[in-house]
Amino acid sequence: MLRHIKTVLTVSALSLAVSTAVFAQEKPKIAFVPQLIGIPYFNAMEAGGNRAAKELGVDFIYSGPVDTNPVDQLQIVQNLIDQGVGAISVSVLDASSIAPVVEAANAKGIKLFTSDSDAPDSGRAVYVAQATDEGLGNAIIDELVKRVGEDAKIGIVSGEATASNLNAWIGFMQKQAAAKYPKLQLLEPQYAGGTAQRAAQISGDLMAANPDIKAIIAVASTTCPGVAQAIETAGKIGTVIGAGYCSPNTARSYIKSGAFGFTVLWDPAQLGYLTVWAGKQLIDGKAFEAENSVPGFAQPVTYDATTGILLLGPPAVFTAENVDKFDF
Amino acid sequence: MTRLRTLQGPALILSLLALLWAIVIVMLLALKPSVFGLSTMTTIIQFSTILALVSLGQAMVIMAGGAGIDLSVGGIVSLSAILTMLFLKLGLPPLLLPVACILIGVLLGLFNGILVTKLDILPLIATLGTFFIYSGLALALTGGAAQSGVPAWLLSWGRGVVLGIPVPFLTIAMPAFAFAGVVILWTAWGRWIHAMGFNERSARLVGIPVDRMRLVLYGLSGALGGAAALISVAWLGSARPNIGQNLELESLTAAMLGGIAITGGRGGVGGVFAAVILLVTLKTGLLQLNVNTVWQVGIVGALLVFVLLADRLSQHWR
Amino acid sequence: MRHGVFSMNGREWSLLAACAVAIFVLSVASPYFATSGNAATILRNSVELLLVGLGMTLLLAMGGIDVSVGIVMGLAAIGVGRALGADLPVPITALAGPIIGAALGLLTATVVVLGRVPAIVGTLGLLGVYRTAIFVLLGGQWLSGLPTGLTVLLGTTVLGIPIAAYVIALAYLAMWTALRRTPFGLHLLAIGNSEEKARLSGIPVVKVRFITFIVSGALTGLAATFYVANYRNVEMTIGSTLALDAIAAVVLGGTSILGGRCSLIGTVLGVLLLRILQNGLLLVGVPSLWQPVVTGGLLIGVLALEVATSRLSLSQLGWTRK
Repeated sequence: MLRHIKTVLTVSALSLAVSTAVFAQEKPKIAFVPQLIGIPYFNAMEAGGNRAAKELGVDFIYSGPVDTNPVDQLQIVQNLIDQGVGAISVSVLDASSIAPVVEAANAKGIKLFTSDSDAPDSGRAVYVAQATDEGLGNAIIDELVKRVGEDAKIGIVSGEATASNLNAWIGFMQKQAAAKYPKLQLLEPQYAGGTAQRAAQISGDLMAANPDIKAIIAVASTTCPGVAQAIETAGKIGTVIGAGYCSPNTARSYIKSGAFGFTVLWDPAQLGYLTVWAGKQLIDGKAFEAENSVPGFAQPVTYDATTGILLLGPPAVFTAENVDKFDF
Repeated sequence: MTRLRTLQGPALILSLLALLWAIVIVMLLALKPSVFGLSTMTTIIQFSTILALVSLGQAMVIMAGGAGIDLSVGGIVSLSAILTMLFLKLGLPPLLLPVACILIGVLLGLFNGILVTKLDILPLIATLGTFFIYSGLALALTGGAAQSGVPAWLLSWGRGVVLGIPVPFLTIAMPAFAFAGVVILWTAWGRWIHAMGFNERSARLVGIPVDRMRLVLYGLSGALGGAAALISVAWLGSARPNIGQNLELESLTAAMLGGIAITGGRGGVGGVFAAVILLVTLKTGLLQLNVNTVWQVGIVGALLVFVLLADRLSQHWR
Repeated sequence: MRHGVFSMNGREWSLLAACAVAIFVLSVASPYFATSGNAATILRNSVELLLVGLGMTLLLAMGGIDVSVGIVMGLAAIGVGRALGADLPVPITALAGPIIGAALGLLTATVVVLGRVPAIVGTLGLLGVYRTAIFVLLGGQWLSGLPTGLTVLLGTTVLGIPIAAYVIALAYLAMWTALRRTPFGLHLLAIGNSEEKARLSGIPVVKVRFITFIVSGALTGLAATFYVANYRNVEMTIGSTLALDAIAAVVLGGTSILGGRCSLIGTVLGVLLLRILQNGLLLVGVPSLWQPVVTGGLLIGVLALEVATSRLSLSQLGWTRK
């Protein structure tokens, strides 16, 4: 028996050694690794990336983890590096753990950059941002204050406690509240993981604990339906409003029912397009200008050389008036 | 087929795994020869290291029977990493970091062992409880924030590669497996583990210190979890509160694929190692072929069912 | 021993007492805890866990287990959601959950019972397969903002009580009757005590095990119906933590994972105690990240306490662990 195993192992090891074949030079490959697959937001980014790939003449690879697990994400990035793609963009799950793959990519001359969620100080080539973290945090607070006043009590329900981009947004919300609206009472953020059930449970408990609560912010797009549904179920439409970073399609029925006042988001398909465009620029060795004209974009895209951020533009606010004009 | 039919137990599992591994390699070769090279091998080993260590502990605990299982391994990895870095902030000398990490793992594992041997709580329930406690504490103590501040010398160990093989694998995982293999095959302890897994009552009657042995094994599983935590910290450069997420189910899958019987008393560490390598090679292969990651979980699940059924059928034929 | 619907044993009384103490302490600690609104919130948040827990109670009592129940609920929820989205008559959408759940239970039973694979490992393998099925079926698009038909139906009150409560009460009574008043229940517990002896005494072991997996699947599917009614959303991560929570709640309720001993009322109390504590601790200001720690601590605390208080009497009965 042992001999049988040995033969099998030897054969496969031999074939492994023989097979360092040359591979043909094809179209440049640009990959995007989202935080999690199977959610509408990143699906829209994938669609935008595919469109860009077709128009710019590159191959686009979309591959991400099935759980919000940074090690799985690293493994995917590492395999893209081993495949020798031209450029890899990552929506970083955890900024602190991306360092090993940045080193590996640099060693092989692969352009590694971030998109949608950043890892500053990691040595990434550029960050393709939907909006600045600060802009996103401020937008939610400013819009909410318009609706509930400067002295309201506001709850925060986030997804995974370990997601560094969500935590950055929460940080800027707290900063903005402290600086501009000292009477505003932001409750400690609560974390619901990824299911609507947990988000609804926690939102329900938050409303029970704070009968005078005026608004709940759903930070992760996975928590939007749960937060909105809890407000509806508790019969608090009109006294509590939900808000968050979620797509018009996810939030539409809640915006119409009044459970959600508004959502803040950008067009993820445009972000996906810009990501692939940026990857192409990096592969071609072209530097980013302060203002870049990107095909299909009405406005030039700005680039900040000191922070290395390529900015999609200000976030859009979706309300009952305009939500039907969008489909993503 | 007739040759397969005469096989049984570990030999069957090992040859099955080798066969599957060969199939994966050959398919990859046919579809995408360009992926093979030193860097792919390094990647496979790199991402096997943590799972291999944790699966080894899981396998030893299951092998010793008494409905043994350790659902808390992922929690142990997360909590040891977090507690070590928190102690570092409280003034623990950085040189003691590796020792502290493994020691914390041992203590967490021994707590499981005490629940199981002294309080007679069934292992599935005891470690389900500690799974909630350990993984919950890692998140609650940090609020989810990664803990940085890993000394540079540790990073160079954690990220080092010698001859295409990651240094943590060479210095921790390989010795651990070699040691476990020697103990299981050639020492009285190994025979005790198999004996108590096979028939606990008889093992007690012939004077094997079953409870003490079991306590040690849970401690060992904790130590390996602590070692995995140390590797994650030294490699990523920070301690992550959810680094052990899903490891309980993945290590259980690897142990079962590796031919460990869930009832205890059967299996060896070689199969576990082969199973871990197979799992990571499979994942790597699918990633290299750019197969949508949603198929990974399903293929691994189906593989597990397939191997279990094959094992069952071989016993049936016998 | 005869069991009445409301007869309770030691563990069940102590759980009831624990609930009472928790309610008392939390009412003192937070003025918002003991309100009718909050009670409704707690009950509403218990429904899915309770239904899945009842199925798990039967499985554990039989010496089985199923770690894939959360994902099975997800698959059934996709069916319910799709039916609801297609404007099928609401009662049909409500039934889609249990039917799909039962079908998946049949599939699980085929692998575990016919394949003679240990339940914990077999369902672990199926968990992976089912997860892929969820991804493929949803294809990255969640079912969001589903119609309110099911929500309205289950929320309609008859004699001042919502239909949802009748459905849950009916499910509970059906389980109780099956377990305590039919040969099926006796057979199930006999298999849990010793499968070998059950087989020798002529109990149709394979049939009983199949039925139990199917019933557990149907209850899990019913939970899916409630999930869709309550949240009108089916997301990809649906049910990901449900299985372990359910096992914890059922064991807390006094059901033994070795089989042969179970308590339906214990499961109800176990689920309620968990949800009361989760709700109450948030009300008094403990961050939600501590909730798993509380679950685990409770589980180990209760079992350790039980062992400590009963060790003497058990050793007198000649009870050993193996």
